[in-house]
Amino acid sequence: MTTLLWLQTGSCGGDTMSILCADSPSLEELVNDYGIEMLWQPSLSIEPARRLDAVVDAIIAGRQVLDILCVEGSIITGPHGSGMYDPYRGSSKMSLIRQLVEKAEYVVALGTCASYGGVHAAPPNPTDCLGLQFDKDSPGGLLPIEWRSRKGVPVINISGCPAHPNTMTKTLAMLASGLPVELDHVNRPKTFFNSTVHQGCTRNEYHEYDVEDTAFGGKACMFFNLGCQGPVTMATCNTELWNNRSSKTRAGVPCFGCTSPEFPLTRDLFRTEKIGTIPLHLPLGVERANYMAYKSLAHEAAPERVLNKTMDT
Amino acid sequence: MSKRIIQIDLNRVEGDLDFQLEIENGKVVDARCIGSMYRGFEQIMIGRKPKDSLVITPRICGICGTAQLNAAVLALEQLGGIPVPPAAIRIRNLCLMAETVQSDLRQSFLFFTADFCHPKYAGRAFYQQARSAFLPFQGSIYRDALEHSRHTVEIVALFGGQWPHSSYMLPGGVTTPADNRHIIDCLSILNKLTRWFEQRVIGIDLDAWLALASAEEFFNWLDAHPDSTVGLLTTMSRAIGLHNVGFGTPHMLSYGSYDDPADAGALPSQRKRLFRSGFLNGDTGGIEAFEQAGITEHVRYSWFQPYQGGRHPFKGQTIPDYQPHSDRYTWCKAPRYQDKVVQTGPLADALIDGEALICSLYQAEGGNAWLRQFARLRRTARLLRQMRETLHELAARPNDPHMIPPDRQDIPDGEGFGLVTAARGALGHWLQVTDGVVSRYQVVTPTAWNASPKDSEGRHGHWESSLLGLTVDNPDDPVEIGHIIRSHDPCLVCTVHVLDTGKRITLWP
Repeated sequence: MTTLLWLQTGSCGGDTMSILCADSPSLEELVNDYGIEMLWQPSLSIEPARRLDAVVDAIIAGRQVLDILCVEGSIITGPHGSGMYDPYRGSSKMSLIRQLVEKAEYVVALGTCASYGGVHAAPPNPTDCLGLQFDKDSPGGLLPIEWRSRKGVPVINISGCPAHPNTMTKTLAMLASGLPVELDHVNRPKTFFNSTVHQGCTRNEYHEYDVEDTAFGGKACMFFNLGCQGPVTMATCNTELWNNRSSKTRAGVPCFGCTSPEFPLTRDLFRTEKIGTIPLHLPLGVERANYMAYKSLAHEAAPERVLNKTMDT
Repeated sequence: MSKRIIQIDLNRVEGDLDFQLEIENGKVVDARCIGSMYRGFEQIMIGRKPKDSLVITPRICGICGTAQLNAAVLALEQLGGIPVPPAAIRIRNLCLMAETVQSDLRQSFLFFTADFCHPKYAGRAFYQQARSAFLPFQGSIYRDALEHSRHTVEIVALFGGQWPHSSYMLPGGVTTPADNRHIIDCLSILNKLTRWFEQRVIGIDLDAWLALASAEEFFNWLDAHPDSTVGLLTTMSRAIGLHNVGFGTPHMLSYGSYDDPADAGALPSQRKRLFRSGFLNGDTGGIEAFEQAGITEHVRYSWFQPYQGGRHPFKGQTIPDYQPHSDRYTWCKAPRYQDKVVQTGPLADALIDGEALICSLYQAEGGNAWLRQFARLRRTARLLRQMRETLHELAARPNDPHMIPPDRQDIPDGEGFGLVTAARGALGHWLQVTDGVVSRYQVVTPTAWNASPKDSEGRHGHWESSLLGLTVDNPDDPVEIGHIIRSHDPCLVCTVHVLDTGKRITLWP
């Protein structure tokens, strides 16, 4: 049995709604087949909210083992560092989290808000939001960067706005099964965050031959003009589809980089910043001179069916 | 001891919710509905490019992001006078309907019916049946609802790429056309969902059930189908008297649902809607035309910098002013329509649209807690049929464009608003653009209407008033309050909050 406590902090509830869409494994499977005991889930627990108080007290007093603490939402520290924009029992959620993380074998941040601050931390950050162990991409979250859970690991950041349903359930299933979860430089599980959103996008052949759309509603690539951050964003969106069906880029919506610590960027989210004709932010690790040479050749090599956009996406 | 104050924290709603009730001689004499968490979306939008609202505002709510997206894009199109093709309206409608069906299934069978499994009802005839159908993660309907709500939003994913939180409605249309593959995929999802709904939820053919037009016909159907899920929900609700409580304000508001594609050429605010908009004046019983200029928001009892009376959203102001020890008690503003306290949601929508069965039941018994919950499932049936019609219309017009790229890429300076019906009722976005960036953004959510605190005149909001006068058998375990509050489909997206005073009470032993 693996005990799990799920707390919502500064949240829209989107990660809860997202995990209800998981199918491999599903939330029901986590409960019925992976031995996860939900001590508390705010949208799903049948018991009254008083049950949360009792569970929290028991965990803090050491009477209840807490294997996994899941946090959904930004850590609200305002006003004036009090955390009282998000209160709990006369104190703040912020201070509750501080107490509970010390009791948990693993702490898992569900979504970009809990990981890095997220949309609530966008300027002017009205409620002084932070992530659990990061402030955007820098140390300075609620917990020091060197903080480790009882199992000796940092907060596991399953970023995304919302986090991908199966990325959440697979990570939880791995923890419940005792499988290793290796983390990247911003503490995301590598196995879900070691390839780009671009990888697997059905618009890739357009990108390959430098056939770029200039208006929304088309079939071609959105990287050069329409703000798509797929080539610079790490996530599974195109290698494990959303809702078992699609992804934003497949559906003609630019990737907004929602798994990145800096999400949401402050610039125009629907337009690509460029130097000359080439995007300012190149695909991860690419040299500008090489990329310019490659792109001019690529367009020359484009076949008619790509130039004429005959392929659906 | 005849007077006491109790505090109720409520989970199993979209976000957690607090009520503080004053009980005197067994009756609720005062109620305060507390939205305890502040996030500041309206401030985050200031200074951003107008279209960024399509990425930022869906994140207001995890369960109705599609509706937020639609309100945001309508506001931009209204401001810019940007035309939209009929196919885009149909695709937007289809996705909105799918999201609403998802929400209604989850609200009904994950959040509401679980209360029938309360040990208080162990002696009731329905108890074993309630547990076998509705117990979390184990009950048959609970598990079915998890599965089918999951598939329903695949329709949104086919056009938006993902659910929750996408940005596929852009000024001028949508990003993906309804090609034949998409249409067959959607129909396949809809077929499975409809078959389950017919077999398990209503027990008969969808069209036959939708043809029920009066309270008498409904109760005849109920006698014949007591083991259908709507039958169970109705029988259990009525066994514990939910048809006699939870009325709230008699005034009802609906913005109307789903733009009529025939009006695609008109500005959003000029379009007819497939389900009508209006204001049901509870004093006269008549339905009046709705006019958004009649909306104001008050902050007298809210934690915002005070101003006099009410303000229209175009003059709205959101400056936090947290005063926990004053007589102000919530982060919710108090919206009013023509200076009246109103309710919004599927009951209001159905009555204003003139849906025959809901009107008949309302005439017979009033707007009670059971009818409010039932209206939600009645809506699911109507939307299953409407989604199919929408798909057939799309299939019949394979070459219609899905996007008319706007003449200019930027949104001009000016002001616009977008009004839609989300799963929980009337949702509006109002924005002003100055020097190319957002200078004001005001959102009035369905829950702001329903969960509103007292206004400048001291009048209670709808949820608060739905509890006033209620008899509470056992103030230490007021389970009836949980039923009533959940029948309103609360969505505060906020968390537990406890005041320093008052005795805390739980809904369970």
